[in-house]
Amino acid sequence: MNNLFKYILFGFMALIFATGDISAQGKKTTRLQVEYYKNHDKMEMLIATLIAKERRYVPLAGAMIRFYSVNDTSKALLEELVTNDEGKVVLKINDNSKIFYDPSGIMTFEVEYGGNSSYKSVQRQISVKRANLDVFFFQKDSIKSIEVNASEIGPDNLITPIQGLHVRFYIKGTFSLLDIGKEKTDQYGNARIDFPVYMPGDTAGVIKIVVKIEDDDDYGTIESRGEINWGIPVKVIKKERRGLGDTDAPLWMVYTLIILLSAVWFHYLYVIYMIIKIKLAR
Amino acid sequence: MELDQKATRTLNFFTAQMVTISRYGIIRLAVLLIFVLGGLYALIVQIVKGHIVTGMRDNVVWGIYIANFIFFIGISYAGALISGILHLLRVKWRTPIIRIAEIITIVSTLIGPAYILLCMGRLDRLHHLALYGRIQSPIIWDVLAISTYLIGSIIFLYLACIRDLAALRDYPFKNKWRNKIYRFLAVDFNDNTKQNRYLNRALDIMSAIIIPLAVLVHSVLAWIFGMTLRPGWHSTIFAPYFVVAAVFSGTGVLIIAMWVFRRYYKLESYITKIHFNYLGIMLMILGALYAYFTFSEYLTSWYGSETWDMEVLYKLFDPEEYWWWFFFAAIIGVVLPIIVILIPKFRTINSITAVSVIAVLALWVKRYLIIIPTLETPLLPLQDLRPEYIHYQPTMIEWLLTFSGVALFCLIFFLFSKFIPIIPIIKAEEGKNYAQLRKTVMERIIKRKLKETKMKESQKIEHL
Amino acid sequence: MKKRKIKQSRRKFFAKTITAAAGAIGGIGLTAHSCKSKSEEHEKVTLLSQDGKLVQVDKAAITPASPAEARKGIPGKHFVMVVDLSRCRNARKCIKACDHHHQLTPDRPYIKVLRMQDNPASSPYWMPKKCFHCDNPPCVKVCPVGATFKRTDGLVLIDNHRCIGCRFCMAACPYSARVFNWGKPKPQKTNHPYSPETSIPSQIGTVEKCDFCPDMLRQNKVPHCISACPNGALYFGDQNSDSVTNGSETVRLSTLLRDKAGYRYLEELGTQPNVYYLPPANRLFPFKDAPEGQSS
Repeated sequence: MNNLFKYILFGFMALIFATGDISAQGKKTTRLQVEYYKNHDKMEMLIATLIAKERRYVPLAGAMIRFYSVNDTSKALLEELVTNDEGKVVLKINDNSKIFYDPSGIMTFEVEYGGNSSYKSVQRQISVKRANLDVFFFQKDSIKSIEVNASEIGPDNLITPIQGLHVRFYIKGTFSLLDIGKEKTDQYGNARIDFPVYMPGDTAGVIKIVVKIEDDDDYGTIESRGEINWGIPVKVIKKERRGLGDTDAPLWMVYTLIILLSAVWFHYLYVIYMIIKIKLAR
Repeated sequence: MELDQKATRTLNFFTAQMVTISRYGIIRLAVLLIFVLGGLYALIVQIVKGHIVTGMRDNVVWGIYIANFIFFIGISYAGALISGILHLLRVKWRTPIIRIAEIITIVSTLIGPAYILLCMGRLDRLHHLALYGRIQSPIIWDVLAISTYLIGSIIFLYLACIRDLAALRDYPFKNKWRNKIYRFLAVDFNDNTKQNRYLNRALDIMSAIIIPLAVLVHSVLAWIFGMTLRPGWHSTIFAPYFVVAAVFSGTGVLIIAMWVFRRYYKLESYITKIHFNYLGIMLMILGALYAYFTFSEYLTSWYGSETWDMEVLYKLFDPEEYWWWFFFAAIIGVVLPIIVILIPKFRTINSITAVSVIAVLALWVKRYLIIIPTLETPLLPLQDLRPEYIHYQPTMIEWLLTFSGVALFCLIFFLFSKFIPIIPIIKAEEGKNYAQLRKTVMERIIKRKLKETKMKESQKIEHL
Repeated sequence: MKKRKIKQSRRKFFAKTITAAAGAIGGIGLTAHSCKSKSEEHEKVTLLSQDGKLVQVDKAAITPASPAEARKGIPGKHFVMVVDLSRCRNARKCIKACDHHHQLTPDRPYIKVLRMQDNPASSPYWMPKKCFHCDNPPCVKVCPVGATFKRTDGLVLIDNHRCIGCRFCMAACPYSARVFNWGKPKPQKTNHPYSPETSIPSQIGTVEKCDFCPDMLRQNKVPHCISACPNGALYFGDQNSDSVTNGSETVRLSTLLRDKAGYRYLEELGTQPNVYYLPPANRLFPFKDAPEGQSS
């Protein structure tokens, strides 16, 4: 399962304890969770998840969610989107000219579900600073290491290193990310871990490394990726065998069967030939 | 075709029976038909509702259908092995009984596989066996072996019938359709030297080939069980064990059939006590062999006492589970025939037939005991609260289909006997002569012995 | 307490998506209506892919693999499951999730949780058991028509359009993993054509079993039972990439098996299962017998 998902769930937990009681009008309680996520293509997005209390909390699909950018004085509508079956809605926010920045470069968003006759309205605010995360690989003799650089993007694209940020290192698996380490960035915004030994890669030995800042109070979730052929190449056996469990039978079995059957049927044919000869010899 | 006087007499005797049916015959036929129809009803119920109407469930996935399947394929050995071997050895007394044996083979090889079809969940996909058949599967071996065996048995029976078919062709039946069919089947056989040479050659080939084929068929059947990793099945001696059990039951059924035809067709002059004696002795030897295999099989698994083997054994020896069935199948059904036939005093036509019935029933129960207790003993603990998933209990539908199979067996047999004399006409007299010959020879020997003893006694007297 | 709540809400995401959608349509008439007005075939779904990218998928395009495609397997993968016996307390959530996803009736579950006791001296424990997807599968060997087959990614599946119902595979399976549709199965809802990867709809007179949810695997998602387990007892992953996950925690397969002495059930049979067990040592829960009337 996606780790992202896990964090959304932690968000739920926070919400479960944060939101008020059942409304007096008998409308169903709704909860909204908002996350800022910057993926490895440097695409920034806001992910909002809406759940409603039926018997238990379930995702609310088809609900209209409004996204605003706010500052001290103004509020600008960015987009209106409808939640999918998982109650989720995703808004891309790259290069959106409507977004307000405060003097220190902080963006503040307000996300809102208006509610209707059955569900209560709900609102969330989120503030983030924009940051970059970059991954590098180093090899010195037999020591292989992965390094990450984290930097803040201030106003006018001024870049400054971030110190003391928790960065997590993962190897991308089929279903999930395999945690291979956690490190704090130093004063230059760098964090480094050793590459694990005997790690299988794909057929060419390539391993996908994912580094993440996860659900940071200031920077949200930022992800970066890199590929390196440090893995042990996996031998993928092309299965064209002939065996008991395969589509094709072992050859000896085929031959034995053919020999046995043809021996018997040859005699049958010979006997039928004898019968024909009886007929002809009258 | 030229017939001698005796053959003509036999021909007249049988043709008279073939075209008529007694009142009791009609009643018997009606009873059989009722059973067959009952089976047909059960079959329809099963097709409409699915296998939920049977007692089989996820653990016991095979029930008495498979037991019946093995049973019928087993008795098909009567014709294959017995008539094949007797033919090759040129045993003279075989003549009156081989046709019965061969008909048993064909009828049971037809009915046996029908039970496999009954067991199949999707009969409508039977053609998948041809479309997607995998020769790694013992079921495909079985399909190939049994169909080859069935065709071989039909050819064998047909060859053995050609002489009689020629005789019947020339017999003036009231219904001309009979003559037409016989004419077609008799392939212009008129008993000339060349034709006899070809026919004998064909018969020799078929009787030689049918023996290994029969052994293979039953081995393959045993391997369906032997190839799995289940306690009580995964055994190397399963193939020969099944073969011996099959010949044992085949001989038993042959004796029963002989008794029935002898009684109802008045064949006392053809099928004599000698035939019962010889087959009885064969039954006894096979019974001993079978007992040896049984003993070896259970001794080995008991001595090794592996967990699951022991579980199955405990079930077989537990009076609350299968002990009495096991006692009947493995002990009574074997020991009784051996004792009765071993002691000459007990050896009568009726007693031999009676123990054959017991042996055949025991063998059916044995097949049941091979399948069910093993399936009731999965390797992982059986923790199900539904009793029908723990214990197999055949339902009415399954019993109906079982009995209708037996009824169908008798019915087809009966119909066969109305079409072809169940004792070969042409060679029949030979056998009868042989019996008389044997009688006279025995009498002569006894006379000579008596003379010798008398002479000795007189010599003794003289000596004194 | 806290933790359980999360798990419940998470499970709901998987299990109750359909009911949620239905509830939403009832609740927000207007939006639901506007959705409906679009034709079903061209309905787009926005998904956040595993790679963290936004993808627009045609809803109808998410169809399961064709029967021919389903025989091949997902290239480069070899799926394994690890069951940590020390974490199972017979909560039976895996069974529930499996039954729900495969639309099974409780009388023929794919998963059983067995009460095991290795010897009289050792304490009993619960053992969740599915199909072991053996690398040397006795069931595949004996199938006369190739209705059950082994794929390159390790999965053993059944094509219930080919199965003739001989049940030889059931007799051959030493682990009793298979169930049979003895009667007419309960009608099942699906919008997709049949695929051996979904096993829906069931057919009378054919065999079924746990399939490791290949429709989920194709979307790089773990089977439903894995995410349903409240105790993280079930791990799933790709042997080739040496990592397994129980939904919240991802570990190296080789490390897990080495450190916790992983074993395969009845190794001596030579079936080479793809399900590993971790011994029930240092348990999370004391053993408690199942309440009366609960069948496995």
